[in-house]
Amino acid sequence: MSMLEKARRRLGDRGARAEPATDDDRLLSELRLALAPDRVRFDGAERSLHAKDASVFRGGVAGPSCFPVNTEEVQAIMRIAAAHGRGVVPRGAGTGLAGGAIPLGAPIVVALTKMNRILSVDTDSRVAWVEPGVINLDLTRHLTPMGFHFAPDPSSQQVCTIGGNLANNAGGPHCLAYGVTNAHIMAMEVVLADGDVAMLGGLDPEPAGLDLRGVFVGSEGTLGIATKIAVRITKNRPAVRTLLLSFDSVSDAANTVSGIIAAGIVPAALEVMDHRITVAVENYVGAGYPRDAAAVLLAEVDGLDDGVGIDADRIAEIGRQHGATDVRTANDDNERALLWKGRKTAFGAIAQIAPDYYLHDTVVPRSELANVLEKVYAIADNYDLKVMNVFHAGDGNLHPLLLFDSREPGVLERVHAAGKEIVEASLDAGGVLSGEHGIGVEKQAYMDRLFSDDDLDHQDRLRRAFDPGCRANPGKVIPMGHSCADIQALRRVPTGVWG
Amino acid sequence: MDLNLNGDELNTCVQCGLCLAHCPTYRVSGDESMSPRGRIHLMREVQLNNAPVTHEVLRSFETCVQCRGCEPACPSAVPYGHLMETTRETLADAGLMTPWWQRLAMRPLAHTKLLGAGSVMVALAQRGRLVPKRLGLSVDVPFTQEPLRASGTDVIMFTGCVMDAWQRDVHQAGQRVLEAAGFGVTPSGDLAPCCGALHAHAGLADDTRTYATNMMRTLSRGAIADASIIVDSAGCSAQMKDYGHLLGTEAARRFSSRVFDISEFLALHLDRLPEGSQLAGTVAIQDPCHLRHVQRVHEATRTVLGRYIPNLVELDDDGLCCGAGGAYSVMEAQLSGQIRDRKVAVISAKDPDLVASANPGCSMHLGAVGVPTIHPMELVDRALHG
Repeated sequence: MSMLEKARRRLGDRGARAEPATDDDRLLSELRLALAPDRVRFDGAERSLHAKDASVFRGGVAGPSCFPVNTEEVQAIMRIAAAHGRGVVPRGAGTGLAGGAIPLGAPIVVALTKMNRILSVDTDSRVAWVEPGVINLDLTRHLTPMGFHFAPDPSSQQVCTIGGNLANNAGGPHCLAYGVTNAHIMAMEVVLADGDVAMLGGLDPEPAGLDLRGVFVGSEGTLGIATKIAVRITKNRPAVRTLLLSFDSVSDAANTVSGIIAAGIVPAALEVMDHRITVAVENYVGAGYPRDAAAVLLAEVDGLDDGVGIDADRIAEIGRQHGATDVRTANDDNERALLWKGRKTAFGAIAQIAPDYYLHDTVVPRSELANVLEKVYAIADNYDLKVMNVFHAGDGNLHPLLLFDSREPGVLERVHAAGKEIVEASLDAGGVLSGEHGIGVEKQAYMDRLFSDDDLDHQDRLRRAFDPGCRANPGKVIPMGHSCADIQALRRVPTGVWG
Repeated sequence: MDLNLNGDELNTCVQCGLCLAHCPTYRVSGDESMSPRGRIHLMREVQLNNAPVTHEVLRSFETCVQCRGCEPACPSAVPYGHLMETTRETLADAGLMTPWWQRLAMRPLAHTKLLGAGSVMVALAQRGRLVPKRLGLSVDVPFTQEPLRASGTDVIMFTGCVMDAWQRDVHQAGQRVLEAAGFGVTPSGDLAPCCGALHAHAGLADDTRTYATNMMRTLSRGAIADASIIVDSAGCSAQMKDYGHLLGTEAARRFSSRVFDISEFLALHLDRLPEGSQLAGTVAIQDPCHLRHVQRVHEATRTVLGRYIPNLVELDDDGLCCGAGGAYSVMEAQLSGQIRDRKVAVISAKDPDLVASANPGCSMHLGAVGVPTIHPMELVDRALHG
């Protein structure tokens, strides 16, 4: 044995001792037998990595991590979990912003990243079968030579998975015209909590029976795990035009958005970024975003060449009527791609300003956009916090980001309180909790504010129809105090842990 | 343990995960512990929360190819490469990484005579079919080579270590191209035996600092004191451009500003390149990571090659690494092979006649599985001199 090996072994021993003793040995050996030894991990490093996603929630505790490669292995995991009474948390790329993939109560983490094959593409029927671990942008890249794309384009599309999109019913800038993920999932094979396999939905335009597909999409892993997904693929439009409008105030930008929709135009995308985030984004991409504008509106129209030109002109005109100080059209595909790269990397660019952020995902009626935004800025001011707004303006989906440095004592409480007020302001304006990020674990506390006890009770019963033992992604979505959350005694988890 | 990482640099990661898809090891493993976000998380756990440096933590760091494909993907500009180099340096100093035999294996790189003798032995072994195929040594190591001769003092041609011993024909092609553009060339030869890139990647940054200091002295004297330093190996040019950061002195920063990758330099002097002939055939460009992600001057390859090759094609993988990674292909043969399989599939989809790559490690790694890989300067030389 080399000296290095010896030193490592010493450290390894120390590492092993540092982990709490567990009664998981039998569970582990069953999982390893069902999959393969190297695709089941339970070491400290993996557990600490899989205890997190891209949200700020801390307090997850991961059990064994499994990397299945086919449906049968997912079934085996579910059956073993059932026999041991353990929860199961599916995980894609871990880019979720609401803590949906955070394991509560040391459940088995099922990483679906190795199930990443595109199984078939049928351009005549406009459908592709994919495994859940396929990266969103990889699918579009695969379809590009055929003249198609996958329409839902979350900002994280370069890395997030189709399975994650399905679980969260993800949106994206271009969902304004094309609809969110739900409109693009036709059918799926799912593994339920007891290990049974079911096919939900179908390729027919109007499948018979209850729309269980619609129930499953957006259920955040609480109904089971999708293992094969039939997605609708969308033909690329012949012409695209992208406009960048600058404004002296965020309200002007918001009112322009209402004006455009009121004029009967449905652009492919309408995105607003305020001053602070525009500067951060421009630092990264150098796309020519104005550094001095209070807000910018990114508007895209697509379709046939003539119609696109007319719509683009009208959008520019409506913008000017609402005080746009500058209107620019992207000259070519490169410029367009760069502008979108900026918009889609906005969250990641934040570390230029502060190391941590907390964001909400509320949706308000478009007509209320300007009012609610004003309140958001006032609330942040009140708590002495920096806030940035970057949002899917076209469908009123706000993404107020509160910036902070978690090393600053007491800051988390302020962030939490300000976040609560922002949610209240959105709901008071007739809005809802989440547009696309999901409820996960972060937004649970607000569910009572939006839904009555009856509503939540029905949601809970629907869930139990799929998963009577409440073992699929335990502790998520339905708030504490309702049965599924209670039954899953998440005793090892300090609930609501922050920071 | 303290990994000696700068707290602010460590804190610039918001864990958004946009880097994941640009990481070759995450791409083939789907495993967070083999992703940049995961590795940064583990650095934080070790440095800030005193997490134990277990076998798995070390594996997470060791499996990084250091291609730095994650850096251009990061909207918050996390200096991942520097974080990883410092982490490895600390762990190597603590005796947890880079064992003695690896250190020994890197010693001869800076000694041209020793390297020459070693190369003759490799050449012999190769002829006797004694070199295992899995080592991926796809060049025929030569017994003897034409010496490089100085033709002037306009520019210095950095010749380096392994590349000079095994692929001097690429240097010769590069020198002929520079001369065709009217530059008198001084080959660096014994003046600057090694840039220290492999050492820095293995956590032996002290060796790199020594080489850097020596090189800065020998290449900053006499008639060549201010000459631009032209490098035809992307890994070396990236390292030499980083001397400013590595040594932190004004002189080092000035030295680094004299360093150019050869395509980068020629793209700046395009008007001096002769017309030449047009080459037939399709050429796919495979950017070396240290040209594209670190130096970010990969457009220059297209500018220069575009003059002579009408059919240049791009690969559809955002410049994902080929898995060579200097010594990585030997140390992590399995992962490296998986990464290469992916790359070969991307190349095959374009069905090119040749693949152009400006780094000796990449061309050997791809050549080992039969991908016909050639240095861009060999193509330009062919267009200029037939």
